Amino acid sequence: MEQKNTLTEPVKYDLSFAREIYSLENGYYIKQCMQCGMCAVACSTREIMDYSPRQLFNLIKLGKKEEVLSANTFWYCTSCCTCKARCPRGVPLVDVMHDLKKYAIEQGYDQYPQAAFYKAFWAEVAGRGKVFEGGVTARYYLIRGLDEVKKALAMKDVGMNMLKHKRLPLLPPKKVRGLGDLKKIIHKAQELQRKEARA
Amino acid sequence: MKYCFYPGCSMEATAQANLKSIKAVAEALGMHLEEIPDWNCCGATVVSSVVGDFTQQVMAARNLAIAESMGLDVVVGCSSCYLSLAITNKRFKEDEHFRAVANEALAAGGLKYEGSLRVRQFLEVVINDAGLEKVAQMVKRPLDGLKVAGYVGCQTVRAIPYEFDDPEYPVFMDRLIEALGAAATEFPMKARCCGSSNALAATDIVVDSSRKIFASAAEGGAQVIATPCPMCQMNLDAYQQRVNQLHGTNYYIPVLFFTQLMAIAFDLSTDAWALDYCIVSPYNVLAPFTGGK
Ligand code: SF4
Ligand code: SF4
Repeated sequence: MEQKNTLTEPVKYDLSFAREIYSLENGYYIKQCMQCGMCAVACSTREIMDYSPRQLFNLIKLGKKEEVLSANTFWYCTSCCTCKARCPRGVPLVDVMHDLKKYAIEQGYDQYPQAAFYKAFWAEVAGRGKVFEGGVTARYYLIRGLDEVKKALAMKDVGMNMLKHKRLPLLPPKKVRGLGDLKKIIHKAQELQRKEARA
Repeated sequence: MKYCFYPGCSMEATAQANLKSIKAVAEALGMHLEEIPDWNCCGATVVSSVVGDFTQQVMAARNLAIAESMGLDVVVGCSSCYLSLAITNKRFKEDEHFRAVANEALAAGGLKYEGSLRVRQFLEVVINDAGLEKVAQMVKRPLDGLKVAGYVGCQTVRAIPYEFDDPEYPVFMDRLIEALGAAATEFPMKARCCGSSNALAATDIVVDSSRKIFASAAEGGAQVIATPCPMCQMNLDAYQQRVNQLHGTNYYIPVLFFTQLMAIAFDLSTDAWALDYCIVSPYNVLAPFTGGK
């Protein structure tokens, strides 16, 4: 009979994946995690996550790249900071989650709708210096395509109510006057960020 | 009392009621809010997931650099903007290496930030600088008997724990509600997350999170919910009907910015009350206090 609880082979750790994650901006904090589970208990959205933050950190340590990058954990993280405020080891979980979102997008694991929202939001900021709700929404549907538009139609009462109560301006805010300088600052920041990551 | 004011993108769009009431309340309390000229988006908790923490914080710091040249501390209303600017500010103050590299980036736009300012939440400024006594003195229409659930939300008190209130059991909001003559209800979910910026991409998160917050507010007998945060206000107001449809509930709890309640209690202009912006209509429940206008 197959013995389910006995390991016949030693666990293989894929250290290269773990090392890559540790090298992200806030990645090294994951090493401080002692697997206590406080974040899992504290988390606002744990019930709909496939792995709790604690489990996800364990999977990273074990080098389970595919499981980690396909997980919904960081996409379902709302940046509520509850775990960060409670972690006894001072792991800034929110910031780690942001790093994981960025890394997942870069690796092409961007199938969650939240990824489209993040990209749309950034495109607005980059182009205007400010966020225009209408612009984010339009860009989001451009990325997500027709299926998502159908879902949106089911939500149209919410949008109509917002319009009725002057909550959705139809015109975007004025661009930041110093947009040119802001772009230079962002460009330089990206360059320095890459340099720092290598250092 | 003079401050720099950072409104943030939502106050120009979904949260105009917040902007109108903050400005009027501040003026009534003798605070002068000078808007940061040509401010840009702080990046909220979204941008770092695309371009990284460092770039997001440099972007946020452009606003701080402009404010520093005016020599005034920065007051923020939106919780997400507060989080982003306050954390950036803390890093400038505490991390020398970060400050040096970040300033190298800011220099590309002719700016520099030394980290000399404080970044403050408007709620905290009202309580610590104006004071609850002054607030109580200003009340001309006491909100007697109004049961208010003080919903601080998650980021306001957890951006930097213990910066001004208890991150687990915040009390600032409740004290303010009481200073207006209203009753702060029992509300265990007052610092739980509303689902944040997921309304568009993952509505289920917002619906599910809001449902729990309504249940907790209703159990405490709240007639209205008051919040400092544009995102909380938006989610709880715009999706309340949706929660009712999906969960067979029957909540009808208007959601206001705490500054709107202040504007009413101080008997400021109806423009400052900004009640038209509420989707769940507050007119009936507030009728005992809004008469004559
Ligand atoms: S609370 Fe901190 S130490 Fe505990 S499991 Fe979560 S990340 Fe690890
Ligand atoms: S910040 Fe994210 S991971 Fe942490 S408790 Fe909130 S939703 Fe959960």
